Amino acid sequence: MPELEFIKVTKSYDSPSGDRLLALDEFSLKIDGGRFVSVVGPSGCGKTTLLRMAAGLIPSDSGEIRLDGVALQNPSPKMSMVFQGIGLMPWKTILDNVALGVQLQAHRPRLTDEERRRAEATLALVGLGGFERYYPHQLSGGMQQRVGLARALVRQPEILLMDEPFGALDAQTRTVLQDELLNLWGRVKSTVLFITHDLDEAIYLSDLVVVMGRRPGRIKEVLEVTLPQPRYSYDTRAEKEFARLRSIAWQSIKEEL
Amino acid sequence: MTQSAVPLARDRKNGPRSALAMIGGNYYLVGALSVVAFLAIWQGISMNVPPVILPTPAKVFAAFVELTVSGELVKATAETIWPFALGLAVAFVIGTALGLLLGILRPIARFLDPYIFVFWSIPNIAWLPLFIAWFGVGNLTLVIFVFVSAVFPQLLTVEAGAKEADSFLVEVARSLGGTKREILFTVVLPSALPYVIAGLRVAVGRALVGIIVGQLLIVATGIGYMFQFYGETLSLAKYFAPLIVIAALAVALNRGVNWAERMLIPWKSRAFT
Repeated sequence: MPELEFIKVTKSYDSPSGDRLLALDEFSLKIDGGRFVSVVGPSGCGKTTLLRMAAGLIPSDSGEIRLDGVALQNPSPKMSMVFQGIGLMPWKTILDNVALGVQLQAHRPRLTDEERRRAEATLALVGLGGFERYYPHQLSGGMQQRVGLARALVRQPEILLMDEPFGALDAQTRTVLQDELLNLWGRVKSTVLFITHDLDEAIYLSDLVVVMGRRPGRIKEVLEVTLPQPRYSYDTRAEKEFARLRSIAWQSIKEEL
Repeated sequence: MTQSAVPLARDRKNGPRSALAMIGGNYYLVGALSVVAFLAIWQGISMNVPPVILPTPAKVFAAFVELTVSGELVKATAETIWPFALGLAVAFVIGTALGLLLGILRPIARFLDPYIFVFWSIPNIAWLPLFIAWFGVGNLTLVIFVFVSAVFPQLLTVEAGAKEADSFLVEVARSLGGTKREILFTVVLPSALPYVIAGLRVAVGRALVGIIVGQLLIVATGIGYMFQFYGETLSLAKYFAPLIVIAALAVALNRGVNWAERMLIPWKSRAFT
């Protein structure tokens, strides 16, 4: 199983006033293969920066991010990222949007039959079989994010990076998609790094919840979630252990607000 | 109180307004009424002024038929359409290609933008004497004049489109492993496509002005010359015939652009069907 490791990763930005703004200061975290790890923290704690560096979208100032012991530089074909803003190409049909995940992975302008079948199967997996020829604007926000998820999963990624993927959705849709994500994760068994500001969501989904302090980002607390799998949205949330973890995490975050 | 208010409101809707609403709902009926009203007003005015100011619709129609039967209008239309189409087509191809190039390769744009801006800022009619000196009095100059009229709106609109590709979508493509070349073809070019159509819409209008002005001032042929000739000889009934042709051409071109838009940008137009 692939593991993702952050070793003393530091990142700063230029602030509008001209000085350097330290976003992450020697951040270290090891994520064992096959685990579902969430990172929560107040806004501006550098959690999105963390994910964008893991995705190879921005470089770190110093330190290393390793996938199975190999330092990452550029976007890796072994990873997929799911964005809060989804980012479907409006001119592509749903199927072509999903297929883009493999096209840019394999660097082939034309899909093979096998890839096309895989894209169709993945679309069916997220519950959107039959919507292949629709365009993104014809779908609801929740359905669009399912497409975003399918575009990530069709790559059969070892690591799934998720940047507040359900943050822009309404509460019901979010709950449904959380359950579907857990269900899908049970099947594909990739390592997941999930960024959110929603404590409930983090605890419900994860094996491990990393609570970050405010800028410069560093780890404040790591909570092991021992709630049994499979989880069932409201049943799991009603368990004592869930309430206990949420209370610890909330105490920890409150000090940072 | 609420109980009486609701039926009252409904009564008002079902009352005298409904006749108007029924007519208003019929698309073809409204169109027909519009034409009838237009002709009636035209008739009314033309009966009260000398024919040299405004001829009656019937006289215009008769002149249109006469010019069509004699072949004059058909010949003039042909003389107008080919240099127009040629100039516009070349402007579309070159404007689109150069616009994409400048939108993507910013250093080249920095090098060329000042000249394009100066060229674009000068009213194109001011170039006409120079073009005549360079290319003579003939259809070549006419085509070049149409080209110059249409190429700049096409170029500048497409350049703006290629420059403004959504940076988030570029990032998404990058996260999926897209190379520069792949991002160009999967994000930048498709997102510039609506601008290609928007540019064409403006270019068509400018080319139409270009061809008429060109025929008036350079070659003395075609529709442009008919305007000049029948205008100066005060044969107003005949003057309206080329006007009808140009109006029909403009409407047809607009329909054509709309059709191209639906074909090329299905993700946009489908929102309204």
